[in-house]
Amino acid sequence: MPDLWQDAMDHAVAVAKKAGEIIRDALQNDMKVMCKSSSVDLVTKTDQKVEQLIIASVKEKFPEHGFIGEESVADGQPCVLSDSPTWIVDPVDGTTNFVHGYPFVAVCIGFAVNKKLEFGVVYSCIEDKMYTARRGKGAFCNGESLQVSDQKDINQSIIATEFGSDRDPEVVEKIFSNMRKILCLPVHGMRGAGSAAINMCLVASGCVEAYYEIGVHCWDVAAAAVIVEEAGGVLMDLEGGPMDLMSRRIIAANNKTIAERISKEIEAYPALRDDAPPGTTE
Amino acid sequence: MPLESHPLFLLGVTKGSSQSAPLRGEVRDRAVAAALRGGSMEDDTWAECQEVAVRIARTAGQMVQEAVNHEKSVSSKSTPTDLVTEADQQVEDLIISTLRERFPSHRFIGEESSAAGEKCVLTDSPTWIIDPIDGTCNFVHSFPMVAVSIGFAVKKELEFGVIYHCFDGTLYTARRGHGAFCNGVRLQVSKEKDVSKALILTEIGAKRDPNTLDIFLGNMKKLLSAPVHGVRIIGSSTLALCHVASGAAEAYYQYGLHCWDIAAAAVIIREAGGCVIDTTGGPLDLMSRRVVAAGSREIADYVVQQLQPINYGRDDHDP
Repeated sequence: MPDLWQDAMDHAVAVAKKAGEIIRDALQNDMKVMCKSSSVDLVTKTDQKVEQLIIASVKEKFPEHGFIGEESVADGQPCVLSDSPTWIVDPVDGTTNFVHGYPFVAVCIGFAVNKKLEFGVVYSCIEDKMYTARRGKGAFCNGESLQVSDQKDINQSIIATEFGSDRDPEVVEKIFSNMRKILCLPVHGMRGAGSAAINMCLVASGCVEAYYEIGVHCWDVAAAAVIVEEAGGVLMDLEGGPMDLMSRRIIAANNKTIAERISKEIEAYPALRDDAPPGTTE
Repeated sequence: MPLESHPLFLLGVTKGSSQSAPLRGEVRDRAVAAALRGGSMEDDTWAECQEVAVRIARTAGQMVQEAVNHEKSVSSKSTPTDLVTEADQQVEDLIISTLRERFPSHRFIGEESSAAGEKCVLTDSPTWIIDPIDGTCNFVHSFPMVAVSIGFAVKKELEFGVIYHCFDGTLYTARRGHGAFCNGVRLQVSKEKDVSKALILTEIGAKRDPNTLDIFLGNMKKLLSAPVHGVRIIGSSTLALCHVASGAAEAYYQYGLHCWDIAAAAVIIREAGGCVIDTTGGPLDLMSRRVVAAGSREIADYVVQQLQPINYGRDDHDP
């Protein structure tokens, strides 16, 4: 039976490649860096240009499809997932890295139908690593099959996380308190690439056992979520239930044992949902 | 440099040089090359050592690449998170035996030799300072962020450094006074002086007791809250230091690394225009197991001011 969404996925890969070229070119030139919610929440013209490229190419080929993009939402577009086929896009995941030329920057294209994620494309464009996964068909990096780690012992794990861009002292305190709990288990180590999607692809690749974060957005995790699951991994909410794409928090792990241990150790705290009506505060 | 070392003297060109047998073949060619570069025969000798270092780093890197997909025999050293594998030992043996055969009078400081009880002391002799697999934990997890690091010191002064990223083939090199390069392209540190625009890298270190972790996390929290743009941990101190040299990050700090993690990278960062100092703000102490490196002195000083120390002892003390 032909795959209804194969066309869309092929298009996602092609446009991610193009976007990657734009990002690599932009690294050679001077960059104008702007700030969104704070001095550490960065955005550049490249973020905006790449998102416009993706939206325009998707609208042309798939005029009926919906779209959730980081910069469009920043511009006031609603962030609501309907049943329609919907593209969920972060044009530049790891903008801080991009601004510095630190080589972990990804174009993320996720795709959902009936609110279910169908495929994901994450292009780590400086490393030239194209991660893809189609639900039910496995996960790949540059054509090679991906498989999560088989480690069940948390003490022999590497855990990835990020500090995010909220420097509110209370939030920072919670982030460090959670890090301390994980480090004290102990674990082999903790890592942070500076990109949620790339951290999740590291889980899918078997390089790290898990990634957790509070503060991510749906566009950071949608694409990589499919990749993790298709590589044999699991997704979970920080409090142990199923991952909620709009909840701003996630655990992505190689298996349920590791995921549950992390969920048990760390303290979840509320974050404003991506689909909260405009004007809502936490 | 002493007159007798000068290539033109050796060629018999300068006045007063004894008309000893003219230099022949390879030695003469090197003398001419050195004269044209304005260097001395001594400089040229170290250039040859650096060329050998590059070749052996690549060979060692290939060995690491091949080993990553095989069953690894893992044990721990000072703590349960301080890992070592057979590959670390094999790679170091390969590097040292190759270099020893070529340069029999030179001395060697290697991570695994030190672990086996060799003294870790820097004398005036030409000394190779080697980390065969930097990022062993990453290697154990098949996380492809692993490097071979080869530093070289003469009269206790770091002369050149070679760091080879085993998985993407990136080669970082620098020779004192001759610049720093990544795959042949000149390296330049970030000129950023404003810490609020800085990206800072660090590593956790092997100690995981609650007291140490509190200081480690406290240091990171202080820097993050400056605020800086971000803090990253990649699991390889040498590759992180190379990111400072390339300008991708503004600074690196760590307690708990070793002289073999610092030796090569220090030359690379300095030759790229950056500074490498002690965590107290004084000059780098290669054996002190701590470092601050940055593109600018301003950011280095800021980092120094935020840090509470963690004591890991010294590389040149008895365990």
